[in-house]
Amino acid sequence: MTGAELTLQILQQHGVDSVFGYPGGAIMPLYDAIYDSPIKHFLCRHEQGAAFAAVGYARASKRVGVCLATSGPGATNLITGLADAMSDSVPVVAITGQVPTVAMGSDAFQEVDIIGLSLAVTKHCVQVMNVEDIPAAIEEAISIALSGRMGPVLIDIPKDIQVAETQVRGSGPINSSAPTAVDSYHNLAIEQAKTLIRQAKKPILYVGGGVGMANAVSELRDFCQFTKIPSVSTLKGLGTVAADDEYYLGMLGMHGTKAANYAVQKCDLLIAVGARFDDRVTGKLKEFASNAKVIHFDIDQAEVNKRRLVDVALLGDLKVNLPATAVTSDIAPWQQYCQRMITDFAWQYDHPGEKIFAPSLLNKLSQLMPDNTVVTTDVGQHQMWTAQHMAFAQPENFLSSGGQGAMGFGLPAAIGAQISRPNDTVIAVSGDGSFMMNVQELATLKRFGIPVKIVLIDNARLGMVRQWQQLFFEERYSETDLSDNPDFVMLAQAFDIKAQVITTKQQVDAALKEMLAHDGPYLLQVRIDELDNVWPLVPPNAANEAMIESVK
Amino acid sequence: MQQHNLTITARHQPVVLERLLQVTRYRGFNVVGMTMFPVSELDQLTIELSVVSDKSVDNLKNQLLKIIDIEQIKVEDQALQKFMA
Repeated sequence: MTGAELTLQILQQHGVDSVFGYPGGAIMPLYDAIYDSPIKHFLCRHEQGAAFAAVGYARASKRVGVCLATSGPGATNLITGLADAMSDSVPVVAITGQVPTVAMGSDAFQEVDIIGLSLAVTKHCVQVMNVEDIPAAIEEAISIALSGRMGPVLIDIPKDIQVAETQVRGSGPINSSAPTAVDSYHNLAIEQAKTLIRQAKKPILYVGGGVGMANAVSELRDFCQFTKIPSVSTLKGLGTVAADDEYYLGMLGMHGTKAANYAVQKCDLLIAVGARFDDRVTGKLKEFASNAKVIHFDIDQAEVNKRRLVDVALLGDLKVNLPATAVTSDIAPWQQYCQRMITDFAWQYDHPGEKIFAPSLLNKLSQLMPDNTVVTTDVGQHQMWTAQHMAFAQPENFLSSGGQGAMGFGLPAAIGAQISRPNDTVIAVSGDGSFMMNVQELATLKRFGIPVKIVLIDNARLGMVRQWQQLFFEERYSETDLSDNPDFVMLAQAFDIKAQVITTKQQVDAALKEMLAHDGPYLLQVRIDELDNVWPLVPPNAANEAMIESVK
Repeated sequence: MQQHNLTITARHQPVVLERLLQVTRYRGFNVVGMTMFPVSELDQLTIELSVVSDKSVDNLKNQLLKIIDIEQIKVEDQALQKFMA
């Protein structure tokens, strides 16, 4: 068996049935082995698309996502996807071809030091220098990607190692480890946390993406139901708290709800669960929940005290730690205050004129789509509107590039999500700027008949940058006018993708229904006013209660 | 600016030194001294690293402990075992 065949066999033994990639010189032996392998390979049309597809696959299915690329430019094109996976803690294994070992270090054709390049964007990386090391390298990569705080791992395999013959075989799938034992220090922290919760008069649960990744959504929902502590969510945490929870205040931060931001700023105890005090969440850090004590639940010790000093840290498995700290407290006035804000500051969808109001359309889409729908986004105004106005049944149903804010994420991530969940509806909400960044992946939809629905919110602008130019750069609209966009309907049709454009409110219902009922891929272009902005907005270096809601 | 001396035990892997230095720089610390020697019978490295920064050395230690090939870090006389998740 060759190193290439062995590589695929080990992946298969670990449950990998689909990979995303792009062939090239130094990875050709692996692609030759793919020709006979039961593993399905999905050809993306750019390695960045393959990396984002692997991220979408991993996030939607909670399994490891695998992407392949050749050496040199193939490998460097993976970097943005790996950075996204690193920031958002996504278990991805990237396998790159490398020039033959005899040529390494000689500036060979398509040689790049991908190990050096990947250091800052991977949890771990390894170069396989002997064919016998392949099983251990892949098994370790998958295990590292999926354990603790998850993340991307890169394996670089020189061409001659892929070709080499070996008798070595894999040791089979690894058993997942049992939950960590609770030590006495940990018990002390649990008691301290319970005391803080009992004493709090105005507690807030600040829910991040870590809850879904720890498979602790039901424990979190039980905690909410038992303690009745009002909750807020980060972008990556959306879908974790049940959407109909009577004390759920919505997303917090730069484009959070008024209710969420006001409540967090007033709280006396902030319970962070799988969240990392990101600057888009906190606004001006010194003034973020400045009167609150903090309990921080996390799997990553390095997140504790990184941005905010905490009173109690609870490291480890949320499935153990959340139930262990669930105690009730006397917070009825606070609950009533929060509920009043939920009502008083509810989203308003009345909007003058004929033009389509994107928040209203997205809210309608949220009502019409099946419960198990996966929604991906790109980055910008449409992303924030989606986060604000759509509801998700589970966190793995909402995939957005959080930490990196990588434009071009939405379409390839939707492809990966659809491959991992073939029976669920997958919708990519995009903007006309982001869409063009990985538009070549329309060819991937066509090639495999992947039925992703694309909702293209089109303001013929780089809308979020335009909004900031309007608010903070004296309306100097530098390089944000995209009114020379291509004809998106014609573009989709060039890839055999059904498409239509809508421009008025009256068209919205029928268009959304037609899109959802369509069997294959579909592109719905939604023309909106270029002056529409995302509100509320916390200006840069301001505290979260200083939200603005209109252009002054 | 405060100087901190770290004694690091790591697996003897080719990439570990680069990762150590990359994380140290990215997290805002300047290296002012470094000695490295292999512990051959254990396939380990011992690295003595002196850094300066106005940032928290605890935070650096926690970030460095996330490097897969780093097994243990002692900051001066204060020992901390790697947190096993």
